[in-house]
Amino acid sequence: MYKHNNDNDIKSKYGCNIVVAVAGNPNVGKSTLFNVLTGEIAHVANWPGVTVERKEGVREFEGRKLCFVDLPGTYGITSASIEEIIAREYIISGEPDVILVLVDSTAPERTLYLPIQILELTPKVVIALTKTDLMHSSGIHVHVDKLESKLGGVPVIPVSAIKGVGLKELLRTLIEVAEGRKGRKEPLKINYGALEPFISEIEEVIKDSKALKNYPIRWAAIRLLEGDDRLEEILEKHKELDKLKKIRELKEAIKRSIGKDPQELIITARFNFVDSISREVIVRVKKTSYMHTFEKILQHSILGPITSLFLILIAFLTAFVINTGFPLNIIFSLMGLDEIAEIIESYSLSSIFEEIFTYLSDFVNTILSGIAPEWITSLICDGVIPGVGAVISFLPLIIMIMFFLALLEDSGIAPRLAVSFNNFFSKFGLSGRALYPLVIGLGCNVPAVMSSRTAIEDEERVQIIFSSPFIPCQARLVVILAFTSAFFKSVIERALVIVSLYIMGILVYLITSLIIRRLLFKIKEAPELIIELPPIHKPNAKVVWWITWDYTKHFLRKAGLIIFTLSIITWFMLNYGPSGQVNDITESYAFIIGKAISPILKPFNMPTETSWKIGFTLFQGFIAKEAVVESIVLLEGGERINVADALRALNINSIQAFTLLLFITLYVPCIATLAVMYAEFRNTKLTILSIVYIIAIAYVISLITYAILTALQMIIGG
Amino acid sequence: MSNIPLSVLPKGSKAIIVGILGGRGLITRLMQMGLTPGAMVEVVENQAGPIVIRVRGTTIALGRGIASKIIVNPL
Repeated sequence: MYKHNNDNDIKSKYGCNIVVAVAGNPNVGKSTLFNVLTGEIAHVANWPGVTVERKEGVREFEGRKLCFVDLPGTYGITSASIEEIIAREYIISGEPDVILVLVDSTAPERTLYLPIQILELTPKVVIALTKTDLMHSSGIHVHVDKLESKLGGVPVIPVSAIKGVGLKELLRTLIEVAEGRKGRKEPLKINYGALEPFISEIEEVIKDSKALKNYPIRWAAIRLLEGDDRLEEILEKHKELDKLKKIRELKEAIKRSIGKDPQELIITARFNFVDSISREVIVRVKKTSYMHTFEKILQHSILGPITSLFLILIAFLTAFVINTGFPLNIIFSLMGLDEIAEIIESYSLSSIFEEIFTYLSDFVNTILSGIAPEWITSLICDGVIPGVGAVISFLPLIIMIMFFLALLEDSGIAPRLAVSFNNFFSKFGLSGRALYPLVIGLGCNVPAVMSSRTAIEDEERVQIIFSSPFIPCQARLVVILAFTSAFFKSVIERALVIVSLYIMGILVYLITSLIIRRLLFKIKEAPELIIELPPIHKPNAKVVWWITWDYTKHFLRKAGLIIFTLSIITWFMLNYGPSGQVNDITESYAFIIGKAISPILKPFNMPTETSWKIGFTLFQGFIAKEAVVESIVLLEGGERINVADALRALNINSIQAFTLLLFITLYVPCIATLAVMYAEFRNTKLTILSIVYIIAIAYVISLITYAILTALQMIIGG
Repeated sequence: MSNIPLSVLPKGSKAIIVGILGGRGLITRLMQMGLTPGAMVEVVENQAGPIVIRVRGTTIALGRGIASKIIVNPL
């Protein structure tokens, strides 16, 4: 699948001499080390044909330029998951000159398994023993020299990425191994005992195979004995079915004579090899950790979920109150304390940013008016500056949410939160990891979509991105509150409407996730819960900052550009019509589009003029959900009218109002959400599919709701 | 003692893994994380929900379904 294509290979892309592939288990500290080695990640894309992320970085050292390619975090290099296939295909491709495999010094007995597997494939391996700063406090000591010799000369470099220890030595060693002056010469050959004769037989069978000519023979033989979907697939494709048959017969023979599955025997043999090394090379001293109590609380079946929700709530409240005042502003205004609500809002970061950009816009306006033609002034002051403002105003929120996520991940708390909530989410094809993005989505979908990377598997990540736009966010709450106070009189009615909308949004979110998993990925089971729980420790400030900044840069580069561009387009559509620049908004392109959309509102029996206005409003709502209210007010006369009256002027009854509200809650993510969805999917087809799906579902559900409610009204009310 | 599923082991008990009843994918995943025949596991938590165990120096949480497919010999 990964083809070493000389035209766009990494060496010509960056002009580097040496290519290093970086492999390791999840949680082993790979991103941290990658960041420290490369200084700045040069490129983030997808591995070809899949939605798995691929990071590349560059570092110059002692006269050479090294390119680093980050392989997905894996426990092995079988064909058990797309990540493992990607990792091993890249190693085999011939592009990397040396493979850097990370071993976690706080869990060496287990993490040594991966380098052993890789060493069976290629001898050009350097092992980095990570987290050495934590190793001591965990009571572990590793005899590095002995380990190197037991591995037949594979260099083992202890590093602490966050303390900056061992990095120069690591870089030097990578160069030495890549240039052939150090390290193993031959791949590792593990003695598989009773299986050896069978391995030799398979080597005989496949040695003239065209299908497997790119793979080392012994390695391929062992893999086929273990059972490898991908290799078997390749043999089938090349019609070498007789070879496949012979291999299957040999496997059966093993089961008969030895009585066990060859895969079990082989993996056990590898671990026995690892164990034999660990025994000689690793010393453990019992140490009590004071984080133990906290770990126990999170693991408790009742206290666990409560503590988890509490922690996430703190993150949520801190981030959103500082940024937009939500939910404090809503709470205070519902209590009738509008003045306090306004004060909170005006001191929130987004208000401050808004003021800054409005001021900037006015300032530039006064400078330019008179000098520049009107359309340029308008473009800059009403288009560009607000466009930039739109992107920048998201930054503080994104930084904070990502910061909390990084905090939860680095401290080791995140996986335990996932465990607490796993039972609930597994019913919808998700794991407990989906909790954080879901709660965040209640504030804003943009960081929720970005938090999807917390998912265990890639499929789950895609599910979360796909479904997140259905979570009713703060902006939608603003619209919901405006509509409910205009169209529903009693507090009970209003509460019912609001609660039902939230329930529906979240329900559609959960069911969508299930649908995507079953229909798109064709997986019946929920993500298998096999989560490593690293010891809880004080998060490291540098690491947390790196992770946060990584995600933020990602947002700026990918989503930022899209948001900005769409803002400009919107400015144009609102200010221009077929007759050129317009002052009356009903002559603008935006309104024409709104009118064009309005026929879909026919089944809802609204007066024609209202349909046009709503069509326009829906278009505005695509830009930003809060804009729905603004646009209705604008259409009804602007400054002179209050929100409730403007809404009532639409001339729709309460059922239509509710249905419309439902549609607004569910339909189309706002531009910013769409932009991050595209940035996270890294796939145009998926993005378009999700837009179509979301609009279709919103429409169908609204239609059904309208039909049911109207029917009910006829039966009850008469 | 007899072989039983990991899911029924009470908190604090230790056992030796005997085998895994599952498809190749599951077996690979579990074994690569260190749950191999002959390895010792210790049950850290086993109430409602996922089971938390300690194996080869690592703490791992497993779904109940998966835990019931891991056959162990209690010590």
